[in-house]
Amino acid sequence: MRTGAARGQVGHFHEAGFYGSDTEFRALIVPFVEEGIAAGEPVIIGYDGRKNALVHSWVTDPSAVTFLADNSLYATPARAIAAYRRLFELHVARGAGQIRITGELGHPGNGGNFEGWDRYEAAVNTVWEDFPVWGLCLYDAATAPAAVIDVVERTHPRIVSPSGTRHANSRFQEVADFEALPPTPDPLEDTVPTIELVDASAAEARRVLVQVGRGHVADTILNELLIGVSEAVSNALTHGRAPSTVRIWATPDRLVISVHDPGRGPADPLAGLVPAAGRTATLGLGLWLIHQLDIDVTLKHADDGFTVRLRGDTTMG
Amino acid sequence: MIGPVEAYRDFGLQDHSCGVHGDPGDYRPRLAEFFREGLKRGLRVAYLGSGNVGELRDHLDSLVDIGSLPSHGAVQVISFDEIYGAGKPVDPTEVIERYAAATQEALADGYQGLRISADVTDLVRAPEQQDAFARCEFLLERYSSQHPLSAMCEYRLELGDAVTQFACMHAAVPAGLTPFQVFACDDGAVGLLGEFDQACQVAFERALQRIQPAPDDSQLIFDMSAVRFMDHHALLSLDSYAEACQVPVFARSMPPIVCRVQRELGLEHLGQMHPGDL
Repeated sequence: MRTGAARGQVGHFHEAGFYGSDTEFRALIVPFVEEGIAAGEPVIIGYDGRKNALVHSWVTDPSAVTFLADNSLYATPARAIAAYRRLFELHVARGAGQIRITGELGHPGNGGNFEGWDRYEAAVNTVWEDFPVWGLCLYDAATAPAAVIDVVERTHPRIVSPSGTRHANSRFQEVADFEALPPTPDPLEDTVPTIELVDASAAEARRVLVQVGRGHVADTILNELLIGVSEAVSNALTHGRAPSTVRIWATPDRLVISVHDPGRGPADPLAGLVPAAGRTATLGLGLWLIHQLDIDVTLKHADDGFTVRLRGDTTMG
Repeated sequence: MIGPVEAYRDFGLQDHSCGVHGDPGDYRPRLAEFFREGLKRGLRVAYLGSGNVGELRDHLDSLVDIGSLPSHGAVQVISFDEIYGAGKPVDPTEVIERYAAATQEALADGYQGLRISADVTDLVRAPEQQDAFARCEFLLERYSSQHPLSAMCEYRLELGDAVTQFACMHAAVPAGLTPFQVFACDDGAVGLLGEFDQACQVAFERALQRIQPAPDDSQLIFDMSAVRFMDHHALLSLDSYAEACQVPVFARSMPPIVCRVQRELGLEHLGQMHPGDL
Protein backbone atom coordinates (compact mmCIF):
# COMPACT_ATOMS: atom_id res chain seq x y z
CA MET A 1 0.00 0.00 0.00
CA ARG A 2 1.30 3.44 -0.91
CA THR A 3 1.58 6.27 1.57
CA GLY A 4 1.83 10.07 1.52
CA ALA A 5 0.97 12.17 -1.50
CA ALA A 6 1.22 9.10 -3.74
CA ARG A 7 -1.43 7.18 -1.80
CA GLY A 8 -3.84 5.57 -4.24
CA GLN A 9 -1.63 6.31 -7.24
CA VAL A 10 -0.48 3.69 -9.73
CA GLY A 11 2.98 3.53 -11.26
CA HIS A 12 5.57 6.27 -11.08
CA PHE A 13 4.47 9.31 -9.09
CA HIS A 14 6.89 11.85 -10.56
CA GLU A 15 7.23 15.11 -8.72
CA ALA A 16 9.61 18.09 -8.88
CA GLY A 17 10.49 20.80 -6.42
CA PHE A 18 12.73 23.86 -6.50
CA TYR A 19 14.70 25.20 -3.57
CA GLY A 20 16.78 28.33 -3.12
CA SER A 21 18.57 27.46 0.12
CA ASP A 22 19.51 24.55 2.37
CA THR A 23 16.55 25.48 4.54
CA GLU A 24 14.15 25.07 1.63
CA PHE A 25 15.92 21.88 0.56
CA ARG A 26 15.43 20.54 4.09
CA ALA A 27 11.76 21.54 4.08
CA LEU A 28 11.24 19.59 0.87
CA ILE A 29 13.23 16.47 1.58
CA VAL A 30 12.88 15.69 5.28
CA PRO A 31 9.10 15.03 5.26
CA PHE A 32 9.54 12.85 2.18
CA VAL A 33 12.23 10.77 3.86
CA GLU A 34 10.71 10.58 7.33
CA GLU A 35 7.31 9.51 5.99
CA GLY A 36 9.02 6.76 4.04
CA ILE A 37 11.03 5.54 7.02
CA ALA A 38 7.92 5.56 9.21
CA ALA A 39 6.02 3.51 6.64
CA GLY A 40 8.87 1.03 6.26
CA GLU A 41 9.31 1.96 2.60
CA PRO A 42 12.70 1.83 0.87
CA VAL A 43 14.09 5.37 0.56
CA ILE A 44 16.91 6.00 -1.93
CA ILE A 45 18.78 9.29 -2.00
CA GLY A 46 21.14 10.44 -4.75
CA TYR A 47 22.57 13.93 -4.31
CA ASP A 48 26.13 15.19 -4.26
CA GLY A 49 28.31 14.44 -1.25
CA ARG A 50 27.47 17.66 0.61
CA LYS A 51 23.72 17.32 0.26
CA ASN A 52 23.79 13.61 1.07
CA ALA A 53 25.65 14.51 4.27
CA LEU A 54 23.08 17.17 5.13
CA VAL A 55 20.21 14.74 4.70
CA HIS A 56 22.12 12.17 6.73
CA SER A 57 22.34 14.67 9.60
CA TRP A 58 18.70 15.81 9.36
CA VAL A 59 16.81 12.52 9.39
CA THR A 60 16.03 10.53 12.53
CA ASP A 61 17.29 7.17 11.28
CA PRO A 62 19.75 7.52 8.41
CA SER A 63 20.54 3.81 8.62
CA ALA A 64 17.07 3.20 7.16
CA VAL A 65 17.98 5.21 4.06
CA THR A 66 20.06 4.18 1.05
CA PHE A 67 22.49 6.91 0.04
CA LEU A 68 23.82 6.51 -3.49
CA ALA A 69 27.41 7.64 -3.20
CA ASP A 70 28.46 6.02 -6.45
CA ASN A 71 27.66 8.19 -9.45
CA SER A 72 28.28 5.29 -11.86
CA LEU A 73 24.55 4.59 -11.76
CA TYR A 74 24.14 7.88 -13.61
CA ALA A 75 26.76 7.10 -16.26
CA THR A 76 24.17 7.36 -19.03
CA PRO A 77 20.40 7.91 -19.03
CA ALA A 78 19.70 4.45 -20.44
CA ARG A 79 21.89 2.79 -17.83
CA ALA A 80 20.26 4.78 -15.03
CA ILE A 81 16.82 3.68 -16.22
CA ALA A 82 17.93 0.05 -16.36
CA ALA A 83 19.77 0.17 -13.01
CA TYR A 84 16.77 1.68 -11.25
CA ARG A 85 14.49 -0.91 -12.82
CA ARG A 86 16.64 -3.69 -11.34
CA LEU A 87 16.57 -1.93 -7.97
CA PHE A 88 12.79 -1.56 -8.10
CA GLU A 89 12.34 -5.21 -9.07
CA LEU A 90 14.42 -6.20 -6.06
CA HIS A 91 12.39 -4.07 -3.63
CA VAL A 92 9.04 -5.17 -5.04
CA ALA A 93 10.16 -8.80 -4.78
CA ARG A 94 10.92 -8.13 -1.11
CA GLY A 95 7.39 -6.84 -0.64
CA ALA A 96 7.80 -3.06 -0.80
CA GLY A 97 4.48 -1.27 -1.21
CA GLN A 98 6.23 1.88 -2.40
CA ILE A 99 9.79 2.91 -3.20
CA ARG A 100 10.83 6.51 -2.65
CA ILE A 101 13.70 7.94 -4.65
CA THR A 102 14.97 11.48 -4.63
CA GLY A 103 17.89 13.16 -6.32
CA GLU A 104 19.15 15.94 -8.54
CA LEU A 105 20.61 15.31 -11.95
CA GLY A 106 23.89 16.80 -13.02
CA HIS A 107 23.76 20.03 -15.01
CA PRO A 108 26.17 22.88 -15.77
CA GLY A 109 25.10 24.65 -12.57
CA ASN A 110 26.41 21.88 -10.33
CA GLY A 111 29.37 20.81 -12.45
CA GLY A 112 27.53 18.15 -14.43
CA ASN A 113 26.33 17.62 -17.96
CA PHE A 114 22.60 17.68 -18.64
CA GLU A 115 22.84 16.68 -22.31
CA GLY A 116 20.57 13.68 -22.91
CA TRP A 117 19.09 13.81 -19.41
CA ASP A 118 16.12 15.85 -20.58
CA ARG A 119 14.92 12.73 -22.41
CA TYR A 120 15.52 10.74 -19.22
CA GLU A 121 13.29 13.03 -17.17
CA ALA A 122 10.58 12.69 -19.83
CA ALA A 123 11.01 8.93 -20.24
CA VAL A 124 10.76 8.00 -16.57
CA ASN A 125 7.13 9.11 -16.63
CA THR A 126 6.37 5.92 -18.57
CA VAL A 127 9.25 3.44 -18.28
CA TRP A 128 8.74 2.85 -14.56
CA GLU A 129 4.98 2.54 -14.75
CA ASP A 130 5.22 -1.08 -13.61
CA PHE A 131 6.54 -0.05 -10.19
CA PRO A 132 5.07 1.77 -7.16
CA VAL A 133 7.72 4.49 -7.27
CA TRP A 134 7.55 7.99 -5.87
CA GLY A 135 10.26 10.03 -7.54
CA LEU A 136 10.98 13.43 -6.02
CA CYS A 137 13.39 15.49 -8.13
CA LEU A 138 14.67 18.53 -6.27
CA TYR A 139 16.60 21.18 -8.18
CA ASP A 140 18.55 24.15 -6.86
CA ALA A 141 16.81 27.09 -8.53
CA ALA A 142 19.82 29.30 -7.84
CA THR A 143 22.29 27.21 -9.82
CA ALA A 144 20.24 25.27 -12.39
CA PRO A 145 20.32 27.02 -15.80
CA ALA A 146 17.04 28.30 -17.19
CA ALA A 147 16.99 25.57 -19.84
CA VAL A 148 17.23 22.90 -17.14
CA ILE A 149 14.47 24.50 -15.08
CA ASP A 150 12.36 24.63 -18.23
CA VAL A 151 12.91 20.92 -18.86
CA VAL A 152 12.12 20.03 -15.26
CA GLU A 153 8.87 21.97 -15.50
CA ARG A 154 7.94 20.20 -18.73
CA THR A 155 8.76 16.69 -17.51
CA HIS A 156 7.14 16.51 -14.08
CA PRO A 157 3.36 16.22 -13.82
CA ARG A 158 3.39 17.54 -10.27
CA ILE A 159 5.22 20.30 -8.43
CA VAL A 160 5.79 20.53 -4.69
CA SER A 161 6.90 23.73 -2.97
CA PRO A 162 9.05 24.12 0.18
CA SER A 163 5.88 25.04 2.07
CA GLY A 164 4.54 21.60 1.26
CA THR A 165 1.82 22.63 -1.14
CA ARG A 166 1.37 20.43 -4.18
CA HIS A 167 -0.24 21.18 -7.50
CA ALA A 168 -0.64 19.64 -10.93
CA ASN A 169 1.82 21.14 -13.37
CA SER A 170 0.15 22.89 -16.31
CA ARG A 171 3.41 22.97 -18.30
CA PHE A 172 3.83 19.19 -18.20
CA GLN A 173 4.27 17.50 -21.59
CA GLU A 174 3.46 13.82 -22.05
CA VAL A 175 6.47 11.85 -23.25
CA ALA A 176 5.07 11.60 -26.77
CA ASP A 177 4.79 15.40 -26.96
CA PHE A 178 8.01 16.24 -25.17
CA GLU A 179 10.26 18.61 -27.07
CA ALA A 180 13.85 17.65 -26.25
CA LEU A 181 16.60 20.23 -25.97
CA PRO A 182 18.61 20.68 -29.16
CA PRO A 183 21.94 18.87 -28.85
CA THR A 184 25.00 21.03 -28.42
CA PRO A 185 27.03 21.00 -31.63
CA ASP A 186 30.56 19.73 -31.39
CA PRO A 187 33.00 22.28 -32.89
CA LEU A 188 34.66 19.47 -34.82
CA GLU A 189 31.45 18.91 -36.76
CA ASP A 190 31.99 22.28 -38.48
CA THR A 191 35.35 21.15 -39.79
CA VAL A 192 36.29 18.82 -42.63
CA PRO A 193 36.12 15.26 -41.32
CA THR A 194 39.18 13.10 -41.29
CA ILE A 195 37.28 10.68 -43.47
CA GLU A 196 33.80 10.42 -44.95
CA LEU A 197 32.12 7.24 -46.16
CA VAL A 198 28.94 7.12 -48.22
CA ASP A 199 26.68 4.05 -48.12
CA ALA A 200 29.42 2.07 -46.42
CA SER A 201 28.66 -1.27 -44.82
CA ALA A 202 29.01 -1.64 -41.07
CA ALA A 203 32.12 -3.77 -41.66
CA GLU A 204 33.69 -1.04 -43.80
CA ALA A 205 32.88 1.60 -41.17
CA ARG A 206 34.50 -0.54 -38.47
CA ARG A 207 37.59 -1.15 -40.60
CA VAL A 208 38.06 2.54 -41.33
CA LEU A 209 37.43 3.55 -37.72
CA VAL A 210 40.18 1.20 -36.57
CA GLN A 211 42.54 2.67 -39.17
CA VAL A 212 41.73 6.26 -38.30
CA GLY A 213 41.13 5.95 -34.59
CA ARG A 214 43.67 3.54 -33.16
CA GLY A 215 45.94 5.28 -30.68
CA HIS A 216 43.72 8.34 -30.28
CA VAL A 217 41.71 6.91 -27.37
CA ALA A 218 42.05 3.88 -25.08
CA ASP A 219 41.45 0.55 -26.81
CA THR A 220 38.43 -0.03 -24.57
CA ILE A 221 36.88 3.22 -25.80
CA LEU A 222 37.74 2.39 -29.41
CA ASN A 223 35.87 -0.89 -28.91
CA GLU A 224 32.87 1.02 -27.56
CA LEU A 225 32.95 3.27 -30.62
CA LEU A 226 33.25 0.24 -32.93
CA ILE A 227 30.18 -1.34 -31.37
CA GLY A 228 28.35 1.98 -31.61
CA VAL A 229 29.23 2.76 -35.21
CA SER A 230 28.39 -0.78 -36.27
CA GLU A 231 24.92 -0.60 -34.74
CA ALA A 232 24.30 2.92 -36.06
CA VAL A 233 25.32 2.04 -39.62
CA SER A 234 23.29 -1.18 -39.56
CA ASN A 235 20.28 0.84 -38.41
CA ALA A 236 20.80 3.47 -41.10
CA LEU A 237 21.05 0.83 -43.81
CA THR A 238 18.09 -1.17 -42.50
CA HIS A 239 15.67 1.47 -41.27
CA GLY A 240 16.94 4.74 -42.77
CA ARG A 241 17.13 6.08 -46.30
CA ALA A 242 20.03 6.18 -48.71
CA PRO A 243 22.52 7.65 -48.85
CA SER A 244 23.90 7.05 -45.40
CA THR A 245 27.02 8.97 -44.49
CA VAL A 246 29.63 8.16 -41.88
CA ARG A 247 31.97 10.98 -40.89
CA ILE A 248 34.90 10.53 -38.55
CA TRP A 249 36.89 13.34 -36.96
CA ALA A 250 40.08 12.30 -35.23
CA THR A 251 42.18 14.59 -33.05
CA PRO A 252 45.09 13.48 -30.87
CA ASP A 253 42.78 12.91 -27.91
CA ARG A 254 39.27 12.66 -29.34
CA LEU A 255 37.16 10.77 -31.84
CA VAL A 256 33.84 12.09 -33.07
CA ILE A 257 31.71 9.99 -35.39
CA SER A 258 28.43 10.88 -37.02
CA VAL A 259 26.20 8.41 -38.84
CA HIS A 260 23.59 10.29 -40.85
CA ASP A 261 20.80 9.34 -43.21
CA PRO A 262 18.08 11.49 -44.79
CA GLY A 263 15.29 9.48 -43.15
CA ARG A 264 13.24 10.69 -40.23
CA GLY A 265 14.85 8.45 -37.64
CA PRO A 266 12.96 6.58 -34.94
CA ALA A 267 9.58 8.08 -34.11
CA ASP A 268 9.57 6.55 -30.64
CA PRO A 269 10.55 9.28 -28.14
CA LEU A 270 12.00 6.56 -25.92
CA ALA A 271 14.24 5.19 -28.69
CA GLY A 272 17.53 4.08 -27.20
CA LEU A 273 16.49 4.62 -23.60
CA VAL A 274 14.76 1.27 -23.16
CA PRO A 275 15.09 -1.98 -25.10
CA ALA A 276 12.46 -2.86 -27.63
CA ALA A 277 9.57 -4.84 -26.21
CA GLY A 278 10.25 -8.56 -26.49
CA ARG A 279 13.65 -10.19 -26.73
CA THR A 280 13.11 -11.35 -30.30
CA ALA A 281 12.25 -7.88 -31.57
CA THR A 282 15.59 -6.45 -32.58
CA LEU A 283 14.09 -3.17 -33.72
CA GLY A 284 15.30 -0.62 -31.21
CA LEU A 285 17.73 -2.93 -29.48
CA GLY A 286 20.68 -1.57 -31.44
CA LEU A 287 19.96 2.00 -30.36
CA TRP A 288 19.47 0.82 -26.79
CA LEU A 289 22.81 -0.97 -26.91
CA ILE A 290 24.49 2.20 -28.21
CA HIS A 291 23.12 4.04 -25.19
CA GLN A 292 24.65 1.49 -22.82
CA LEU A 293 28.18 2.22 -24.04
CA ASP A 294 30.78 4.17 -22.09
CA ILE A 295 30.88 6.95 -24.68
CA ASP A 296 28.93 10.12 -25.35
CA VAL A 297 25.87 9.41 -27.51
CA THR A 298 23.57 11.98 -29.08
CA LEU A 299 20.56 11.48 -31.35
CA LYS A 300 19.74 14.40 -33.63
CA HIS A 301 16.49 14.79 -35.54
CA ALA A 302 16.65 17.59 -38.10
CA ASP A 303 15.03 18.65 -41.36
CA ASP A 304 17.83 17.01 -43.34
CA GLY A 305 17.55 13.66 -41.58
CA PHE A 306 18.60 11.69 -38.56
CA THR A 307 22.07 11.53 -37.05
CA VAL A 308 23.67 9.40 -34.38
CA ARG A 309 26.73 11.11 -32.94
CA LEU A 310 29.29 9.13 -30.96
CA ARG A 311 32.16 10.71 -29.08
CA GLY A 312 35.08 9.21 -27.21
CA ASP A 313 38.12 10.85 -25.69
CA THR A 314 41.16 10.14 -23.57
CA THR A 315 39.35 10.96 -20.34
CA MET A 316 37.15 7.90 -20.86
CA GLY A 317 38.04 4.29 -20.27
CA MET B 1 44.36 -24.52 -42.69
CA ILE B 2 41.76 -22.17 -41.25
CA GLY B 3 40.66 -18.85 -42.68
CA PRO B 4 40.81 -17.11 -46.03
CA VAL B 5 42.91 -18.91 -48.65
CA GLU B 6 45.28 -16.86 -50.74
CA ALA B 7 47.01 -19.73 -52.56
CA TYR B 8 45.74 -23.27 -53.06
CA ARG B 9 48.76 -25.24 -51.99
CA ASP B 10 50.30 -26.85 -48.94
CA PHE B 11 47.04 -28.35 -47.74
CA GLY B 12 47.32 -30.79 -44.85
CA LEU B 13 45.93 -34.27 -44.40
CA GLN B 14 42.77 -32.97 -42.75
CA ASP B 15 42.05 -29.72 -44.57
CA HIS B 16 38.57 -28.99 -45.84
CA SER B 17 38.67 -26.19 -48.39
CA CYS B 18 36.23 -24.49 -50.69
CA GLY B 19 37.06 -23.20 -54.14
CA VAL B 20 34.99 -21.13 -56.53
CA HIS B 21 35.48 -20.92 -60.26
CA GLY B 22 33.74 -19.46 -63.26
CA ASP B 23 35.71 -21.33 -65.88
CA PRO B 24 36.83 -24.98 -65.52
CA GLY B 25 40.24 -23.69 -66.48
CA ASP B 26 40.45 -22.03 -63.07
CA TYR B 27 39.71 -25.29 -61.26
CA ARG B 28 42.16 -27.40 -63.28
CA PRO B 29 45.46 -26.14 -61.82
CA ARG B 30 44.10 -26.20 -58.27
CA LEU B 31 42.92 -29.77 -58.69
CA ALA B 32 46.22 -30.88 -60.21
CA GLU B 33 48.23 -29.27 -57.42
CA PHE B 34 45.90 -30.67 -54.75
CA PHE B 35 46.16 -34.21 -56.09
CA ARG B 36 49.92 -34.11 -56.77
CA GLU B 37 50.63 -32.87 -53.27
CA GLY B 38 48.32 -35.54 -51.87
CA LEU B 39 50.08 -38.31 -53.75
CA LYS B 40 53.43 -37.03 -52.56
CA ARG B 41 52.12 -37.27 -49.01
CA GLY B 42 51.11 -40.87 -49.56
CA LEU B 43 47.38 -40.22 -49.81
CA ARG B 44 44.86 -41.88 -52.03
CA VAL B 45 43.22 -39.20 -54.17
CA ALA B 46 39.69 -39.45 -55.48
CA TYR B 47 37.84 -37.36 -58.00
CA LEU B 48 34.06 -37.31 -57.64
CA GLY B 49 31.54 -36.43 -60.28
CA SER B 50 28.51 -37.44 -62.29
CA GLY B 51 28.61 -40.44 -64.63
CA ASN B 52 30.13 -43.88 -64.66
CA VAL B 53 33.72 -44.75 -63.93
CA GLY B 54 34.80 -44.50 -67.53
CA GLU B 55 33.23 -41.11 -68.02
CA LEU B 56 34.73 -39.85 -64.79
CA ARG B 57 38.21 -41.06 -65.74
CA ASP B 58 37.86 -39.25 -69.05
CA HIS B 59 36.68 -36.14 -67.28
CA LEU B 60 39.51 -36.25 -64.77
CA ASP B 61 41.91 -36.79 -67.64
CA SER B 62 40.58 -33.66 -69.29
CA LEU B 63 41.14 -31.68 -66.13
CA VAL B 64 44.49 -33.07 -65.04
CA ASP B 65 47.27 -34.77 -66.93
CA ILE B 66 46.32 -38.13 -65.46
CA GLY B 67 49.17 -39.82 -67.22
CA SER B 68 51.57 -38.06 -64.97
CA LEU B 69 49.80 -39.39 -61.89
CA PRO B 70 50.36 -42.90 -60.60
CA SER B 71 47.51 -45.32 -61.01
CA HIS B 72 46.86 -48.77 -59.47
CA GLY B 73 44.57 -47.56 -56.72
CA ALA B 74 46.25 -44.32 -55.76
CA VAL B 75 43.96 -42.35 -58.03
CA GLN B 76 40.28 -43.18 -57.90
CA VAL B 77 37.12 -41.85 -59.41
CA ILE B 78 33.89 -42.07 -57.45
CA SER B 79 30.41 -41.44 -58.75
CA PHE B 80 28.29 -38.89 -56.93
CA ASP B 81 25.57 -41.55 -56.82
CA GLU B 82 27.86 -43.78 -54.77
CA ILE B 83 28.33 -41.15 -52.09
CA TYR B 84 25.22 -39.01 -52.22
CA GLY B 85 22.72 -41.66 -53.32
CA ALA B 86 20.89 -41.80 -56.59
CA GLY B 87 17.50 -40.25 -57.14
CA LYS B 88 16.61 -39.68 -53.52
CA PRO B 89 17.09 -36.86 -51.00
CA VAL B 90 20.59 -36.54 -49.63
CA ASP B 91 20.98 -37.95 -46.12
CA PRO B 92 23.93 -36.06 -44.55
CA THR B 93 24.63 -38.74 -41.97
CA GLU B 94 24.78 -41.48 -44.58
CA VAL B 95 26.99 -39.34 -46.81
CA ILE B 96 29.55 -38.89 -44.04
CA GLU B 97 29.43 -42.59 -43.23
CA ARG B 98 30.35 -43.31 -46.85
CA TYR B 99 33.21 -40.82 -46.77
CA ALA B 100 34.37 -42.37 -43.51
CA ALA B 101 34.26 -45.82 -45.07
CA ALA B 102 36.26 -44.62 -48.07
CA THR B 103 38.81 -43.05 -45.75
CA GLN B 104 39.15 -46.23 -43.72
CA GLU B 105 39.53 -48.24 -46.90
CA ALA B 106 42.37 -45.98 -48.02
CA LEU B 107 44.08 -46.47 -44.67
CA ALA B 108 43.53 -50.24 -44.88
CA ASP B 109 45.12 -50.23 -48.34
CA GLY B 110 48.23 -48.64 -46.88
CA TYR B 111 47.68 -44.99 -47.73
CA GLN B 112 48.10 -42.17 -45.24
CA GLY B 113 44.54 -41.06 -45.83
CA LEU B 114 42.08 -39.96 -48.50
CA ARG B 115 42.02 -36.75 -50.47
CA ILE B 116 38.92 -35.89 -52.50
CA SER B 117 37.77 -33.16 -54.82
CA ALA B 118 34.66 -32.48 -56.85
CA ASP B 119 32.76 -29.72 -58.57
CA VAL B 120 29.52 -30.11 -56.64
CA THR B 121 27.61 -27.32 -58.34
CA ASP B 122 25.11 -29.65 -59.98
CA LEU B 123 24.32 -31.26 -56.62
CA VAL B 124 23.24 -28.00 -55.01
CA ARG B 125 21.57 -26.21 -57.89
CA ALA B 126 18.03 -27.01 -56.70
CA PRO B 127 17.11 -24.95 -53.62
CA GLU B 128 15.47 -27.96 -51.98
CA GLN B 129 18.83 -29.78 -52.06
CA GLN B 130 20.83 -26.98 -50.51
CA ASP B 131 19.98 -27.45 -46.86
CA ALA B 132 20.93 -31.12 -46.81
CA PHE B 133 24.12 -30.44 -48.74
CA ALA B 134 25.17 -27.64 -46.42
CA ARG B 135 24.64 -30.03 -43.51
CA CYS B 136 26.91 -32.49 -45.36
CA GLU B 137 29.56 -29.79 -45.57
CA PHE B 138 29.39 -29.20 -41.83
CA LEU B 139 29.63 -32.92 -41.06
CA LEU B 140 32.49 -33.27 -43.55
CA GLU B 141 34.24 -30.34 -41.88
CA ARG B 142 33.87 -32.05 -38.51
CA TYR B 143 34.94 -35.48 -39.79
CA SER B 144 38.00 -34.17 -41.62
CA SER B 145 39.13 -32.29 -38.52
CA GLN B 146 39.60 -35.60 -36.75
CA HIS B 147 40.40 -38.06 -39.55
CA PRO B 148 42.85 -38.11 -42.47
CA LEU B 149 40.34 -36.89 -45.03
CA SER B 150 41.18 -33.75 -46.95
CA ALA B 151 38.73 -32.23 -49.39
CA MET B 152 38.58 -29.45 -51.93
CA CYS B 153 34.94 -28.69 -52.73
CA GLU B 154 34.44 -26.64 -55.86
CA TYR B 155 31.45 -24.47 -56.69
CA ARG B 156 30.81 -22.54 -59.86
CA LEU B 157 30.11 -18.81 -59.76
CA GLU B 158 26.85 -19.32 -61.66
CA LEU B 159 25.27 -20.30 -58.30
CA GLY B 160 25.51 -16.67 -57.28
CA ASP B 161 25.03 -15.78 -53.63
CA ALA B 162 23.97 -19.35 -52.84
CA VAL B 163 27.66 -20.29 -52.83
CA THR B 164 28.33 -18.50 -49.57
CA GLN B 165 26.05 -20.79 -47.54
CA PHE B 166 28.30 -23.71 -48.46
CA ALA B 167 31.56 -21.79 -48.40
CA CYS B 168 31.03 -20.64 -44.82
CA MET B 169 30.98 -24.28 -43.70
CA HIS B 170 34.64 -24.81 -44.72
CA ALA B 171 37.73 -24.12 -42.65
CA ALA B 172 39.48 -22.68 -45.71
CA VAL B 173 37.70 -20.46 -48.25
CA PRO B 174 38.73 -17.93 -50.90
CA ALA B 175 39.42 -14.53 -49.37
CA GLY B 176 36.43 -12.19 -49.52
CA LEU B 177 33.83 -14.85 -50.34
CA THR B 178 32.14 -14.92 -46.95
CA PRO B 179 32.44 -12.56 -43.96
CA PHE B 180 32.33 -15.47 -41.53
CA GLN B 181 33.18 -19.15 -41.36
CA VAL B 182 32.16 -22.11 -39.26
CA PHE B 183 34.88 -24.67 -38.77
CA ALA B 184 35.64 -27.69 -36.64
CA CYS B 185 38.27 -27.41 -33.93
CA ASP B 186 40.58 -30.34 -33.17
CA ASP B 187 38.92 -30.91 -29.80
CA GLY B 188 35.38 -31.09 -31.17
CA ALA B 189 34.39 -27.48 -30.56
CA VAL B 190 32.73 -25.52 -33.34
CA GLY B 191 34.93 -22.61 -34.32
CA LEU B 192 33.55 -19.30 -35.51
CA LEU B 193 35.73 -16.98 -37.57
CA GLY B 194 35.35 -13.51 -39.00
CA GLU B 195 32.79 -10.75 -38.60
CA PHE B 196 29.15 -11.30 -37.73
CA ASP B 197 26.81 -8.36 -38.17
CA GLN B 198 23.46 -7.39 -39.63
CA ALA B 199 24.73 -7.75 -43.20
CA CYS B 200 25.23 -11.50 -42.79
CA GLN B 201 22.65 -12.17 -40.10
CA VAL B 202 20.37 -14.24 -42.33
CA ALA B 203 23.34 -16.29 -43.51
CA PHE B 204 24.53 -16.86 -39.94
CA GLU B 205 21.10 -17.97 -38.74
CA ARG B 206 20.94 -20.38 -41.67
CA ALA B 207 24.39 -21.70 -40.83
CA LEU B 208 23.40 -22.23 -37.21
CA GLN B 209 20.46 -24.37 -38.30
CA ARG B 210 22.95 -26.73 -39.91
CA ILE B 211 25.14 -27.18 -36.87
CA GLN B 212 24.31 -30.16 -34.72
CA PRO B 213 26.15 -31.61 -31.74
CA ALA B 214 27.82 -34.91 -32.50
CA PRO B 215 25.69 -37.89 -31.41
CA ASP B 216 27.78 -38.67 -28.34
CA ASP B 217 28.43 -35.07 -27.28
CA SER B 218 27.09 -34.03 -23.90
CA GLN B 219 27.66 -30.36 -24.73
CA LEU B 220 28.44 -28.12 -27.66
CA ILE B 221 31.16 -25.50 -27.46
CA PHE B 222 31.55 -22.53 -29.77
CA ASP B 223 35.16 -21.41 -29.90
CA MET B 224 35.13 -17.67 -30.58
CA SER B 225 38.85 -16.92 -30.50
CA ALA B 226 38.83 -16.16 -34.24
CA VAL B 227 35.80 -13.86 -34.11
CA ARG B 228 36.81 -10.30 -34.93
CA PHE B 229 33.37 -8.77 -34.38
CA MET B 230 29.92 -9.99 -33.42
CA ASP B 231 26.92 -7.73 -33.04
CA HIS B 232 23.85 -8.17 -30.87
CA HIS B 233 21.85 -9.84 -33.64
CA ALA B 234 24.35 -12.67 -33.94
CA LEU B 235 24.73 -13.05 -30.18
CA LEU B 236 20.97 -13.29 -29.75
CA SER B 237 20.90 -15.91 -32.50
CA LEU B 238 23.53 -17.92 -30.64
CA ASP B 239 21.46 -17.60 -27.48
CA SER B 240 18.34 -18.82 -29.31
CA TYR B 241 20.36 -21.69 -30.74
CA ALA B 242 21.49 -22.59 -27.23
CA GLU B 243 17.90 -22.49 -25.98
CA ALA B 244 16.74 -24.89 -28.67
CA CYS B 245 19.74 -27.23 -28.61
CA GLN B 246 19.28 -30.63 -26.94
CA VAL B 247 22.60 -30.29 -25.08
CA PRO B 248 24.05 -27.36 -23.11
CA VAL B 249 25.81 -24.83 -25.35
CA PHE B 250 28.82 -22.81 -24.25
CA ALA B 251 30.96 -20.09 -25.75
CA ARG B 252 34.67 -19.94 -25.02
CA SER B 253 37.48 -17.49 -25.80
CA MET B 254 35.10 -14.64 -26.51
CA PRO B 255 37.06 -11.53 -27.57
CA PRO B 256 36.66 -8.45 -25.34
CA ILE B 257 34.58 -6.53 -27.89
CA VAL B 258 32.10 -9.42 -28.08
CA CYS B 259 32.11 -9.86 -24.30
CA ARG B 260 31.12 -6.22 -24.01
CA VAL B 261 27.98 -6.70 -26.11
CA GLN B 262 27.22 -10.03 -24.47
CA ARG B 263 27.39 -8.43 -21.03
CA GLU B 264 24.76 -5.84 -21.90
CA LEU B 265 22.44 -8.39 -23.48
CA GLY B 266 22.56 -10.70 -20.47
CA LEU B 267 22.15 -13.87 -22.53
CA GLU B 268 20.08 -16.48 -20.76
CA HIS B 269 20.96 -19.72 -22.52
CA LEU B 270 24.46 -19.45 -23.97
CA GLY B 271 26.88 -20.47 -21.23
CA GLN B 272 30.34 -19.05 -20.81
CA MET B 273 33.32 -21.36 -20.62
CA HIS B 274 36.33 -19.86 -18.93
CA PRO B 275 39.95 -21.03 -18.94
CA GLY B 276 40.23 -23.94 -16.55
CA ASP B 277 36.66 -25.10 -17.05
CA LEU B 278 36.39 -28.72 -18.04
